Amino acid sequence: MKEKHYGLAIFSTLVFIFLLGPLVIISVTSFGPGTVLKFPPDGFSLKWYQNIWAVDMFPKTFVTSIIISLLGNLLALILGVPAAYALSRYHFRGRDLLNAIFLSPVLIPGIVLGFTMLKYVLVMYQLPIYAGLLVGHTVIMLPFIIRVIGSSLSNFDFSIEEAAVSLGAGRLQAFFRVVLPNIRSGIMAAVLIAFLESFNNVDISVFMTGPGISTLPIQMLTYVQNYFDPTIAAISVVLMILTGLLMFVIERLMGGLAYFTKR
Amino acid sequence: MTLLSLEQVSVAYDNHLILENFDLKLEEGKLLSLLGPSGCGKTTTLRLIAGFLEAKGGKFMFDGRDYTHLPVNKRNFGFVFQSYALFPHLSVYDNVAFGLRLRKMKEGQVKEKVLRMLDIVSLNGFEKRFPQELSGGQRQRVAIARALVIEPDLLLFDEPLSNLDANLRVTMRVEIRRLQQELGMTAVYVSHDQEECFSISDQVAIMNAGKIEQLGAPTDIYQYPKTEYVARFIGFNNFLVFDGTRQGNTGLEWTIGDYGFDVQLQAGQSTANTYKGAIRPEDLRIIPLGQLTDLQKSLSNQVPGTVKVSTYLGRSYQFEVQTALGAFTVNQEMDIPIAPGQQVMITFPADKIVMVAQ
Amino acid sequence: MKINKMYWLLLPGLLFLTVFMLIPIILTIGSTFVQEGKPTLEGYLYFFKDAYFNRILLTTLRVSVFTTVICIALGYPVAYYISRLGTRKKGILLALSIFPLLTSPVVRSFSWMIILGRKGLVNNALVATGIVDKPIEILYTPTAMIIGLVHLFLPLIIITLVGVMENVDSELIRAAESLGASRFTALRKVLFPLTIPGLIIGSVLVFVGSLTAYTTPALLGGKERVISTFLYQNAMTLNDWYLASVIATIMIVITLVVVGLMNKVATKLNPKG
Repeated sequence: MKEKHYGLAIFSTLVFIFLLGPLVIISVTSFGPGTVLKFPPDGFSLKWYQNIWAVDMFPKTFVTSIIISLLGNLLALILGVPAAYALSRYHFRGRDLLNAIFLSPVLIPGIVLGFTMLKYVLVMYQLPIYAGLLVGHTVIMLPFIIRVIGSSLSNFDFSIEEAAVSLGAGRLQAFFRVVLPNIRSGIMAAVLIAFLESFNNVDISVFMTGPGISTLPIQMLTYVQNYFDPTIAAISVVLMILTGLLMFVIERLMGGLAYFTKR
Repeated sequence: MTLLSLEQVSVAYDNHLILENFDLKLEEGKLLSLLGPSGCGKTTTLRLIAGFLEAKGGKFMFDGRDYTHLPVNKRNFGFVFQSYALFPHLSVYDNVAFGLRLRKMKEGQVKEKVLRMLDIVSLNGFEKRFPQELSGGQRQRVAIARALVIEPDLLLFDEPLSNLDANLRVTMRVEIRRLQQELGMTAVYVSHDQEECFSISDQVAIMNAGKIEQLGAPTDIYQYPKTEYVARFIGFNNFLVFDGTRQGNTGLEWTIGDYGFDVQLQAGQSTANTYKGAIRPEDLRIIPLGQLTDLQKSLSNQVPGTVKVSTYLGRSYQFEVQTALGAFTVNQEMDIPIAPGQQVMITFPADKIVMVAQ
Repeated sequence: MKINKMYWLLLPGLLFLTVFMLIPIILTIGSTFVQEGKPTLEGYLYFFKDAYFNRILLTTLRVSVFTTVICIALGYPVAYYISRLGTRKKGILLALSIFPLLTSPVVRSFSWMIILGRKGLVNNALVATGIVDKPIEILYTPTAMIIGLVHLFLPLIIITLVGVMENVDSELIRAAESLGASRFTALRKVLFPLTIPGLIIGSVLVFVGSLTAYTTPALLGGKERVISTFLYQNAMTLNDWYLASVIATIMIVITLVVVGLMNKVATKLNPKG
């Protein structure tokens, strides 16, 4: 019997207002003309969007963030795809342990990971800050790459690969011409999810700043602690649009958002 | 006496009408099967009776009371699910005790009833097991025990045997029939398995597209389908599409072109020629044309043709025969099969042709 | 492929993680037990004796517990609501839950600065309606941290629980109802016990997440420290890397213990099979 739970529907609506309301408020305040954040704003202006470009650290760190996330992503793919393949294709001794190690960067508190990397990667190994950022972001992206690609590989029928080999393909050829095309959307989704994870990262990047070197979230964090004008609100809107677009693409690629509800 | 009646009931799902002005009556102590292909509305009917679905219109009367808007949990019907729906976090004992405890029964009495019920379904000693530790047949028994122990006013079965293997299905359906008769329960049983329904039911309703095509005792339906749909459903694969009647040697004959067919009408059937003749493959006979005399060839109820395919079925052979009236399927026991390409005569025994509405 | 050939596929990633993650962590932990060449536990004794540190630890735990409890109280009913919807509506509400999850935590915490500040939405409303005479302090208090963290982690628990509830066969609820249970009783006696393992996993994700979150307490906590902002302060502002390493070790231990316990309890409570 289909009962109508009005109480539950109202409760859920209120919770969603709590979740999304602040994001709406931030968007509205970004169009305010005043120098102080105000809701509701006194008028309409786009000047804070122009101000994003005026504070040259914003475009600069935006570019840094993009480059670090893209390069880190590439590195994580190079390291992660073969590992994900081996972990889902073969059953061998120590597989569970190796799987745990590859997923462990999400288990270690981010702030701890950031600190230990500052201590060893930057100071002891003497890596330059940009290299440190790249390494740190690669580490946090690896689990996402392994998990998402691993889940597409677990749905992949490996007898297709064997068929390719039986038809005369080499192992590598079979992988690139048969396996890879079939898990393409999984790889794309993995790349996008890892990208967002890296692009939004604070915990690692906050330890890896130098003169004129920082990522966008850290630049925003610093800015917010010193100024309270709508520039950050304007950047937030830009970032939310970007997030929305990427989420849409992920949804299309994965044929739904079921990935997120599995744990 | 009539225990259950659905009157002019309509059910829609996602704005799509599944049942429209549907009627059904069931007498106390009987087992009624709803039989039909998936999507025919049989499960919808069952779930409507159970109270999982609400009717858009119409009335559901049970034991003289209006049950149309009575919530599921107030109906006191036992439901046996296709997936069994055993509570995975509860032991066999607690699964069976679930409904009794909701009725605030004292633990001592609960124990007595649960143990007796487990005894009835031959599951003594399984109290502490969990559903995942049982075989399919055992889970099925728990599901039945759980539904029976609350002493329901009506038992509902939703394809209860479809997840079991073939042998177990036969054993369990005998078991279900035995329990239903011993306890004098009224039951509605849904299945798409013809043999299963026919073997355990007092009444069978054959459903198609939200309507009951024919309701009757299994033997009646088996011998005398009333519509072409029912005939096809129960294995009448061959049809004669008559175009008129004429006076033959033995009386009125139905014709297709020059071919004449003597047919025995059932009670209540008129001599109108709006019928199709239906006949089962095993009721047709074929003989090589060469073995017949000219006189024999001129008799009614015969059509000559050519064997196209011959298949060995174990006890008999199946032949696909192409004739001037279309293709017919014939099952016949013989030692040496007739080879494809041979000319044969098909005979349609008059007492085996059933007239059905189109 | 030969098994040992397959190890070559794992080697690059493993090497990378070892050099850049495992070794730094192991050395950091090791360094806390050695001072001036001698083994010591002084860092930990100092940490657990000092009233200020204890207060930080307590604030962190309090904030995390409150966050977790509120997340469950808000998230469980919403997850149930979503899990029962049709495909289309469910998709929309899931997307609306996932969107905040993928949005930068800086943006999300910042939005609460606008709302909770002295001239923010909440204070304006309170003053305008006459509930208070002058703006009250919400921002830069543990309450603000809790609000921010609930906002941060609520989507996580919602989508986790939706996943768990979708795995509970809806026929089970119907079975309970057919046996005489009201909808509420059916949920309490069937759905709830079956979602406990998922609830534990979701709660631990939120609890550990709140315990170690940095951005939200840094922006909404002001001078009020939690363990992660305290670690940052020692590492970057005070340059006390020894104490920072001690804090890092304590955070790792707490996380591993809580997650380990969760795995044990969840396995034990998992309905058989």
